[in-house]
Amino acid sequence: MEPIVSVRKLRKVYVLGKSDERVALEDVSFDVHKGDFVCVVGPSGAGKTTLLRCISGLMPPTSGDAYFEGQELTSVPDRIGVVFQDYSQSLYPWLSISRNIALPLKVRGVDKATRQARIEEVLHSVGLPDVGKRYPWQLSGGMQQRVAIARALAYQPDLLLLDEPFASVDAPTRFGLEDLILRVRTEFDVTVVLVTHDIDEAVYLADRVVVLSGSPSVVREIVDVPLPQPRSQATTRSDERFVQLRQSLLGLVTVQ
Amino acid sequence: MKALVWRVARVGARVGVVLAVLLAWQALSATGALPSQEFPSATGTFAALGRVLQSAELWHAIRDTLAGWALGLLIGASLAILIGTVLGLNRFAYRSAIPVIEFLKTVPIIAILPLAILLFGATLKMKFLLIAFGVFWPMVIQVIYGVRSIDPTVRDTARVLQLRGARRFAVVTMPSAAPFIMTGLRVAAATALVLDIVAELIGGGAGLGLSILFAQNAGPSEVTTMYAYIVVTGLLGVLVTGLFILLERRVLHWHPSQRNLRPQDVG
Amino acid sequence: MWARTRPAARAWPLAPARRGRGAARRLPGPLATAARAVLGLWLMVVLVALWWVLSRDSTSPYFPPLRAIVDRLVDLWIVGSAKAELVPSLEHFAVGYALAGVLGIVTGAVLWRLRWLREATSPMLYFCYVLPSAATLPALITIFGIGDTMKIMVIALAAVWPTLLNTVDGMKGVDPLKLDTASVLHLSQAQTLRWVVLPAALPQIVAGLRSSLQIAIILMVVSELVASTTGIGFFILNAQQSFAIIDMWTGIIVLAFVGTALNVIFVLIERRVLAWYYGARATQEAA
Repeated sequence: MEPIVSVRKLRKVYVLGKSDERVALEDVSFDVHKGDFVCVVGPSGAGKTTLLRCISGLMPPTSGDAYFEGQELTSVPDRIGVVFQDYSQSLYPWLSISRNIALPLKVRGVDKATRQARIEEVLHSVGLPDVGKRYPWQLSGGMQQRVAIARALAYQPDLLLLDEPFASVDAPTRFGLEDLILRVRTEFDVTVVLVTHDIDEAVYLADRVVVLSGSPSVVREIVDVPLPQPRSQATTRSDERFVQLRQSLLGLVTVQ
Repeated sequence: MKALVWRVARVGARVGVVLAVLLAWQALSATGALPSQEFPSATGTFAALGRVLQSAELWHAIRDTLAGWALGLLIGASLAILIGTVLGLNRFAYRSAIPVIEFLKTVPIIAILPLAILLFGATLKMKFLLIAFGVFWPMVIQVIYGVRSIDPTVRDTARVLQLRGARRFAVVTMPSAAPFIMTGLRVAAATALVLDIVAELIGGGAGLGLSILFAQNAGPSEVTTMYAYIVVTGLLGVLVTGLFILLERRVLHWHPSQRNLRPQDVG
Repeated sequence: MWARTRPAARAWPLAPARRGRGAARRLPGPLATAARAVLGLWLMVVLVALWWVLSRDSTSPYFPPLRAIVDRLVDLWIVGSAKAELVPSLEHFAVGYALAGVLGIVTGAVLWRLRWLREATSPMLYFCYVLPSAATLPALITIFGIGDTMKIMVIALAAVWPTLLNTVDGMKGVDPLKLDTASVLHLSQAQTLRWVVLPAALPQIVAGLRSSLQIAIILMVVSELVASTTGIGFFILNAQQSFAIIDMWTGIIVLAFVGTALNVIFVLIERRVLAWYYGARATQEAA
């Protein structure tokens, strides 16, 4: 069964050929299989966001390959959903929440009745059943990110990419969002790749954690997370294995 | 309760200042400190204002001024939005065009006024063509910058959502550019009025500017009338500016600059 | 209350050159600069050439051949003494604009400090701001006559408003955190104004000064189109009224260059003065 995402010797250089050229990613290779929940961690500046952009098709690599469902990426495939860190710009402020979610559906030719049903369904899934008529900026940060997740799920993608999605919200909200993402992953049967700087979050959420070194980044290690599902904020985090995994990841991330 | 007191006090203070200025004006002219040949008294001006508001001439003049302003603004702004959008969407086009437009933007439109008078005489056509020309250059730059100034996350999201072509333009590019365009429009409306009055004052086109000039030329007896017309022109300025501020507020209701960032009232 | 230019949505004049993508990036340094220069200039060259060619055999009295205009321009302005006409114009402009700038900033600062005064006078100030300044010209002529004083007063009184209002807005808009920091550092009122508020408000003040510049230029010319015997405005009008069309065109072109030159000088000064602001914004946008 071929992996849903495949990255081979990916290299990304910014400002190639000039004096301030910067190698963000040196040599990154790994696979993501259908149904996985993979977290990518690394020290700051490690090019985690760059990696995500390459996987999504938003940015072409300098060399190496990135494949999605067996095809080489030339543009953003339409079976991918992305949740950006900056929800204030990603959720279009001039559209109501319903209209925001309807947008990708309209593009894909979904008819009005189905659109309506889908919008209600995803909003319900993220725990915001009544906000359709409001504008994104009328909600709190955590809720806006829920809406962003809802929008990404609305057109039923095979792969969901998230770029430090919970970095801009406070801790209690973050826990709620983490559980949300685990829930929708099961509910919508979607593969997830989530970039984060928060190691606890990575261990809590992931089946596997890809650890990047500092830039120019390579894959330092890929760590399996054999903690039982379903995860729970209360019990999983105090599990001994959680603590051990956390310790070792911390070691991997901070050592240069 | 306290808030209400403050509001009343504030309004009262503003009214008070206006009254104080008027009283000072009246006192100065009554005591002869301001020569009556040049400075009419406050009461005299108000009397003239009352008189003039009832005359048909004033309303004809207002109509003429507004006609030039509206036509000039409509033509200039529409062309600017059209051409600016086309230029903004193509990198080569706007990189080539911007230096030329920036140069032409700094040319004082007044320089063209004598030419316009030559070509079209002291007519409405002269006025609105001059205004359209004057309004076009700064506005087209604003439109170009607006169309180009799309936030990277907004753009990336559009790509992920598979928005393309006309839909992307209408749903993403234009609203993104709207703050720039609305600012440009607001400035254009004010500029148009300034050019309008100048064209009337110097070019002799019909309107408030010309009426002011007539009153001035009619000598000391019409000084109050001249001031009355100036006040009316000021009020027109208030109206025009106010209109466009309201328009901007309405169109950009979603923009951070227009909304009071409310405390998170939902959970 | 009045809608002033918000730096966020304002078009930066002659926007700082962005790192070129495409062809300009792949070329080495000096060649890239040359390529950028060509890109910026080719249209201007083409348009002028077009004007030249299209008007070459023109018989229209209003649009003489560009060649004839250029010849006359050289004769009158470069070789000849017509440039003396610019001197009174620019003098009036300089004094009037300087007056407007200083008055605008000082008054703006005062109004910012005295909040009650600002609140009370704001409708009156707003009225003066939106009143088209040319309308006051006949009144000012009645009061000041038609000499140098009138012209300077006209320019100053019209150009002061954008600077004044933008100064007030800019100072009002200073992040309260900065003011708290200043009081924690035990800065006096004057020191706070000088070292904290003024620099923080500077971008907006400069935006106001830019608007004031445009108004000053316009009124410099307008004041000479009405009851004057000297100046570039008078030159153009006189030429038009005596049907010396070619002379009129030379005047227009000279005025265009003067206007542009003043704007370029302004932008150069602006870049020096606001270098820190551009730098901060650039890092913000890159982040």
